[in-house]
Amino acid sequence: MKLGRVIGVVWASKKVEELNGCRLSVVQPISNNGNNDGNPLVVADPQSIGSVGDKIVYVTSTDAAQAFNSGFAPVNASVVQLVDEIS
Amino acid sequence: MIFAKVIGTIVATQKDQNLVGKKILLCKEVTHDRKPLDTYHVAVDVVQAGEGDFVLLTYGSSSRMTELTKDAPIDAVISAIIENVEIEESYR
Repeated sequence: MKLGRVIGVVWASKKVEELNGCRLSVVQPISNNGNNDGNPLVVADPQSIGSVGDKIVYVTSTDAAQAFNSGFAPVNASVVQLVDEIS
Repeated sequence: MIFAKVIGTIVATQKDQNLVGKKILLCKEVTHDRKPLDTYHVAVDVVQAGEGDFVLLTYGSSSRMTELTKDAPIDAVISAIIENVEIEESYR
């Protein structure tokens, strides 16, 4: 799992059925000290955890589908936690 | 997932049985503000995308996680057609 900051929202007119009702956020990966780390990516947020500006934890790879109730969705990354504080 | 732009269609008469009836499109990776990058992908289309469309592309084994592609030998799928991307002002 990785840390990121939600920097935007994707509006899609047509989605594959498995992604219906799922929020799609643009996330800037950040390092442990909060600096930007690499290029932004699109992360699915099936449980609507993160809004723009929030720091979140996201999971990548095939495991990202586990964030969906069905466990079956074509996603490369999903938001799984909202970060309150890193100490 | 990554942003991409559809730049062409791929026509093939001889193909794997699990690819029969599937539209295969040539896509160029782009940034969130639609600037083209160097990488391209050959992706299966399950959302009726067309040339010029700004799309969301899922790659790797995750691309098989749709009802329409679950048994197909593929590693990229167009999972959405993007209307707009809103990026917060402080990031732009």
